[in-house]
Amino acid sequence: MIGCLLQNLNQLLVASIAVGITFSAGCLSRPQQEGTADLIWGQSGITEGRLQKPRALAIDANDELYLVDMTARIQVFDTEGTYLRGWKTPISKNGRPSGLTIDRAGRLLVADTHYYRMLVYTPDGELLEDQTIGGTLGHGPGEFGFVTDVCEDSQGNFYVAEYGDFDRVQKFSPDGEFILQWGSPGADPGQFRRPQNMVIDSQDRIWVVDACNHRLQVFDSSGKLLSIWGEEGSELGKLYYPYDLALDGQGHVYVCEYGNHRVQKFTLEGKPVGSWGTHGKGPGQLHNPWAIARDSLGRIHVLDSNNHRVQRAIF
Amino acid sequence: MFQRSITFDSPIYLLLLLLLPLMWWIGYRSLSGLGRWRRIVALVLRSTVLLILVFALADVQIQRRSDQLTVIYLLDQSLSIPVDQRQSMVDYVNDSIEQHHDAAHKDRYAVIVFGRDAGVEIPLVNVSIPLNPQIETVLDPEYTDLALAIQRAKAMFPFDAAKRIVLITDGNQNQGDARRGARAAAATGVSIDVVPVMLSARSEVAVEKIDVPAGARKGQPFEMRVVLRNDSPEDLGKTVPGKLRIVRKSGQREETIVEQDVDVPPGKRVFTISEEIDDPDFYTYEAHFSPNATADDGMTQNNKASAFTHVRGKGHVLLIENWDKQGEADYLVERLRKEDIAVTVTPSDRLFTSLAELQRYDSIILANVSRSTGTDADNVSSFSDDQISMLERNTREMGCGLIMLGGPDTFGAGGWTNTELEKAMPVNFEIKNAKVTPVGALVLMMHAGEMPRGNYWQKRIAIESIKILGSRDYCGLIQWNGSDQWLWGQSKGGILRTGPNRKMMMSRVDRMSIGDMPAFDPALKMAAQGFLGLKDAAVKHMIIISDGDPTPSTTATINSLKKQGVKVSTVAVGSHGRLGSQEMQRIAAATGGKYYAVKSAKALPRIYQREARRIARPLVYEPKPAVQPRIVSQHEILQGMEGGIPPISGFVLTSVKENPLVEILLRSPKPVDEKNATVLATWTYGAGKAVALTTDAGQRWANSWAQWDNYDKLFSQMVRWSMRPTDDLDNFTIATDVREGKTQVIITALDQDDQFLNDLSIAGTVVTPDMTSIPLRIEQTAPGRYVGQFDSEVAGSYMIVANTGAGRAPIRSGVNVGYSAEYRVNETNMALLRSLAELKAKGGPAGELVELGLDPSQPEGAAVSNPFRRDLEPAVSNQSIWPWLILIGNCLFLADVFVRRVQVNFLWVPPLFAKLRNKVLGRQHEAPVPETMSRLQSRKRELREQIESRRTAARFEGSADRVDDSQAIDLAASTATSTSTKPRPQPPKAQPEESPVEESYTERLLKAKKRVWEDRKDGNKDERNR
Repeated sequence: MIGCLLQNLNQLLVASIAVGITFSAGCLSRPQQEGTADLIWGQSGITEGRLQKPRALAIDANDELYLVDMTARIQVFDTEGTYLRGWKTPISKNGRPSGLTIDRAGRLLVADTHYYRMLVYTPDGELLEDQTIGGTLGHGPGEFGFVTDVCEDSQGNFYVAEYGDFDRVQKFSPDGEFILQWGSPGADPGQFRRPQNMVIDSQDRIWVVDACNHRLQVFDSSGKLLSIWGEEGSELGKLYYPYDLALDGQGHVYVCEYGNHRVQKFTLEGKPVGSWGTHGKGPGQLHNPWAIARDSLGRIHVLDSNNHRVQRAIF
Repeated sequence: MFQRSITFDSPIYLLLLLLLPLMWWIGYRSLSGLGRWRRIVALVLRSTVLLILVFALADVQIQRRSDQLTVIYLLDQSLSIPVDQRQSMVDYVNDSIEQHHDAAHKDRYAVIVFGRDAGVEIPLVNVSIPLNPQIETVLDPEYTDLALAIQRAKAMFPFDAAKRIVLITDGNQNQGDARRGARAAAATGVSIDVVPVMLSARSEVAVEKIDVPAGARKGQPFEMRVVLRNDSPEDLGKTVPGKLRIVRKSGQREETIVEQDVDVPPGKRVFTISEEIDDPDFYTYEAHFSPNATADDGMTQNNKASAFTHVRGKGHVLLIENWDKQGEADYLVERLRKEDIAVTVTPSDRLFTSLAELQRYDSIILANVSRSTGTDADNVSSFSDDQISMLERNTREMGCGLIMLGGPDTFGAGGWTNTELEKAMPVNFEIKNAKVTPVGALVLMMHAGEMPRGNYWQKRIAIESIKILGSRDYCGLIQWNGSDQWLWGQSKGGILRTGPNRKMMMSRVDRMSIGDMPAFDPALKMAAQGFLGLKDAAVKHMIIISDGDPTPSTTATINSLKKQGVKVSTVAVGSHGRLGSQEMQRIAAATGGKYYAVKSAKALPRIYQREARRIARPLVYEPKPAVQPRIVSQHEILQGMEGGIPPISGFVLTSVKENPLVEILLRSPKPVDEKNATVLATWTYGAGKAVALTTDAGQRWANSWAQWDNYDKLFSQMVRWSMRPTDDLDNFTIATDVREGKTQVIITALDQDDQFLNDLSIAGTVVTPDMTSIPLRIEQTAPGRYVGQFDSEVAGSYMIVANTGAGRAPIRSGVNVGYSAEYRVNETNMALLRSLAELKAKGGPAGELVELGLDPSQPEGAAVSNPFRRDLEPAVSNQSIWPWLILIGNCLFLADVFVRRVQVNFLWVPPLFAKLRNKVLGRQHEAPVPETMSRLQSRKRELREQIESRRTAARFEGSADRVDDSQAIDLAASTATSTSTKPRPQPPKAQPEESPVEESYTERLLKAKKRVWEDRKDGNKDERNR
C-alpha cells in the first residue's frame, strides 16, 4: 500500500517536472526542447531491424527511410521505425557506404565510399549494375577517392563528392559520362576538406557540407561558387564537422553536426534560427550523428550513429 | 503480476508497542489542562510517533511478490561432448523456449555456455530469440567447471523473479565442485533441472602415460614403460590394432626409437622398452598411438603422452641472439666452445615455448637481444610475457644462470623495462637522474575503431607502450571522443610524465572508448602543440594507428612535427583499401617514421613494443674518448685479470639495485654518478645466479676486448660462475606418477655408499604450465623414500625442483600432462547429475532430471520438460522504508509539540467570513468596535456613575468622607512608605456600621495625594508661626 503510494508520489513528481518543462518550453520558439524527441527508435544489433552504427540516411517520396550501417546492410523503415525490408551491398571488406540519396525516379543512390563508386538500387534492393559510376581509384575524370555522397539535378545529371585522394565534386550526365569537376583539397573558397554530403535545391543549386572546413558552400550546376558561410566553433551559429544537411523549401537549412552532436537550423544565408540536441545518450541527446532527413510532414529524422538509433524531432 | 504487503525484518521490536497504553495513561493525566480535543489530538499524535519509531526499529519493509520466472540454460561446451551432440543441445534449448516460454507472463530466460570459464550467449530476454547453433562465446573447452557456470547463473538472476537453471551437460567436471555450487544456489531459491548429455559407448584408446626415470646416467640402460588403455564398451570387447611410435627429442634433434604395430586389448596394456643415452642432455620422450581404423578411437587428442629425463654432463649454455643480427655473437660462441662449454645458439624468432625446454641448459645468455625485433608487421617477433616469465622462473626457481650481454638493443634500450627479466637482473633498467640521461616523449594516436575488436586491441597496445616507458618519459594519447581529445592531462598539454601517472594512464586506457576521427589534421596539430611544451624531451616519437580514412593532414602540420624532430610511425589496420594506406605511408615517410601494414591484430603489441622502444635511445651511453672500466671488487669472474680491463667506447646506462646481494665488478669512470655507470654486476637471484654486462661482447663498444688475452677467461668464468650447481656425490632419484589429475613425486635418497639418507628436510617447488610456482610438501614415508603430491589437472609441463638440504645441489624433474582431463572420460556422470537434480530449492520442490537425456542413439530425442512450470515460490523482494518513517515521525513530533503549546481558536473565521460576504455583496458595514474598546468604555461609564453617586452622598453624609479618608491614607501608607516617614494615624478600630461605598484605586490615590498636600500646608503654617 505504502509502496503504491510512494510510487504514485514519484510519478506525480516526475509528471509535475515534466509539466514544468513543458510550460517553460512553451516560452521558446521550438517545440522540441533538449531532452525530448518526437520519437526515438532503433536498437544496437546485427539482426534484422537492428542498427550497428548507422552512417547514412535517405528518405523517399513515400516517407520510407533508407539506412546503411557498419554491417553494410541497407535497411528500409517507415517513419515510425517499423522495419520493412533490407539488403546488403555486394562487398564491404574495405569499408562500408557512407552516403545515401533518393533520385528523382525514386531509386537509391549509394556512395560506396571505399570502393570508389556510386551504386544504384531500386527501392526493393535490386542493384542496377549498368548504372554504377566509378570503381577506379584515382585523380582522373570518372575516378574517385573515398566517395561521400551523390545527388541528382533536375536535368538528371549526377554530382559525386569525394575526399581522401582529391577533395572535389564531379558532374556526370544521366548516362554516366563525365561532364566537369570543381574543387580541390584546401581551405580557400571553392576548395574542400571532406565534402561529406550534398543536397540540391529546386533551382539546381548544390549545397555542400564541407566537413573539415566546418562550413557550407553553395554552387550552381556548373560549379560556380554562389555562397559560402560557417565557421568552426560550438556556439550557436558555428559549426564543428557538419556531416549532413537538409532543406525545408521554406527558406531554411538544417545542418547535422558530427562534432557538436546537434542539428542546427539556419536561414539560407547562414543566420542561426534554432538548435536541437546535445551530447549524450538520453532522449534528445546525440552521439556523433552522421545524417539527417526531412519527411513530408516537416519532421527531422536524425541518425544518432554512435547511439545506434534514429531520433525524430520537430523544430 | 505483483502483490505488495508489509513485513518486518526485526519483529521483536514490535513488543515496544506495549508501551502505548502506558503512554496513554501518563499522557491522559499530564495533558488534562489542555482541554478535551487538544488532549485527544496530542495523544493520537504522540501515539503515532511511537508507533512509527517502533516500526522503524523493527525495520518495516514493503514486500513485493512476483509470479515471474527466470530460466537460465547452462550449456556444456567442453571437449568431452562430441561435436555432433552439441547441435542436439542447441535444438533442445530452442524447443524448450518455443514450446514453453510464454511471453505473456513476461518470463525471462538467458543462455550461458561454459567450459573452464562461462560466458553469456543470450542475455536475459523476455522475447523468444532462438539460440544460434554456432556458439559465439569464446571459451576454454579443455576443462569443465560446472560450479563456475552455476555461480555465473546465480549472479545473473534478477531479484524479482523465481529462479531456475536448466543444466545441459555430461556431468564430467574436472574443475570446481558442482555439488557445493549447486547447494549454494539451491539455498538461495534456485531450482536446478538437469538434462544429461548421454555419451555413446564407443571404442576409445588412450596413451595413459610414459614412464622414464627423471635422472638417467650416461651409458646406463634404463627401462621405459608406455601404458595404453582401451576403454571399449564391455559388450563390444574389441582389440584395437594400431601403431605405437616413440620419439626422443633433445633441443632441435628428434629421433624415432620405436615404431611398431601393437594390439591393444580392452583394459590396459603396458609396453616396456629398454633405452640407453650416450650424450648428456635433457631428453623428452613422446609416445604416440595411431589406430589402424579411425572408427576404433573416439578421441585422438588423448593418443599421446610425453616425459622428460636428464643426463648430466658438462655445462650446456643457450645463447639467444636477435634474429636480424644472426652471427653477431659467433666470436663469443667460438671462444666459449674452445673453453669446453657446450653452446646452443638460437635466434630470437625461434624461441622456447615451455620451461621444460630450458631445462637442458645450465645458463642462458641474451646476447644483445631486444624484446622485439623486426622490420615490418609481418616479421616483427618478440618475447611474449610468458617467455620472459619462463626465463625469470628458470633462474629463480630452477637455478639456471642468466647472463645479459649489452649492446644498443639491450637493457632499457631494448624494451626490457618493467618486465619480469628486469627483476632477475642486478641492475634496474631505468635512470632516475635527469642529469645522466635525457627523456623521451611518446604520443599515441588512436583511430582503429573499425577493425574487429578495435577497442580491445587499442587498449592492449596503449598498455604495452605505457609499460615500456621509463618513469621520466612522457606519454600522451589522442583519440576522438566527440572531438579530438587527449586522454589525460587536457589542461596540461596532454603529454604527462609516465612515472607518477602510470596507474592513472592505465585506468584511463582501460575505460577509453574510441570514436571515428573525421580528420588527421586537428589531432596532429594537437600533438605538435603538445610536443612544443616539452622542453626536456630529447626524443619525440608518435605512433598513429588508423584505418586511414580520416581526411588527410596538411603539409604544414606534418612539417611542424618534422621541424621538432618528431618521428611519426604509422600502423595501418584493416585500412580502407589502397587509398587508406597512402596517407599513412605519406605521414611516416615525411617524418622519418616507419609504416606498418598489419594483417593480423596479433602483431600489434609486438609493433608497439618495438616502436615505443625508440624513445629509450638516450639510455645508450657512448663516451668519447673510450673509457677504461675499473675493477670495483674481486670476484671469481675476474680472477687472473689483475692487469686491468681494456677500454670500452659505450654501454647501456642502468641503475644499481639497492640490495646487499648485488656485487659490482666493473664500473666506468663516466658518467660521474656511480649508480648508473655499472659495466659488470652479478647477484644471486632465488636459486640461480644472474650477470649483467652492459657493454657488448666485443662487437661494437668492446672491440678492443676481442684481441685481449683474457677475453676467453672473462667470458668462460662468467658463464661457469652463473651455471646451476651439479652434485654427483649423493645418489638421488626422482620419479613422478600422474594419476587422476594429481602428480605424485617420489624421491629416493641414497648416499655415496648406497645407504639410505634419512631425516632429510626436503622442500620442493612446482612451476605449473601457467608459470605460477606452488610449494610442494615432501615428507619421508619409508627409509630413504620421500613423497609429495600436487594437483596437475591443467595440461602442460610441470617442472619440479627439490632442495635436499644445505650443501647439496637441487634435484629437478618434470612431468608432462599431455592432454586435458576432458579426454579421459567417455561416459556420462549420472550420479553427479542426479544428485544435482535432487537438490530442493529453498521453499520449493527438487528439480527435474530428464532421464533419457540427449542420446544420439534415440534420434527422436528426449521429451522437452517444461522449465517454465510454476512450482516455485514466488520471488519476494523487500524494500526498507524506515528512513521515510523517521522523517514522517519527526514531522508528527513537531505537530504534537504545536498542539500542546499553541492554542488555536477559530473565532476570527466568522468575522472574516462576514467581511468577505459584505465585500462580495457590496454592503456598507459599520466597522465593529473592538471588544477591548467597548469594555473600557463601559467600565469608564460605570466609574463615572460611581463617582457621581459618591459626590451626591458627600453633600448629605459627612461621615462617609471621614471613613473614606482613613481608608485612603491606609492605602497610601502601604504603597508609599518610603516617601513619608511621618507616623501614620492608626486606623479606627471600630468598623463603621454601614459599609462605605467601594472606591476605586484611582480615587484612593487622589485622596491620598490631597491629604499629603493638606499636611504639607499645615506644616508650612506651623513653621511660619514659629
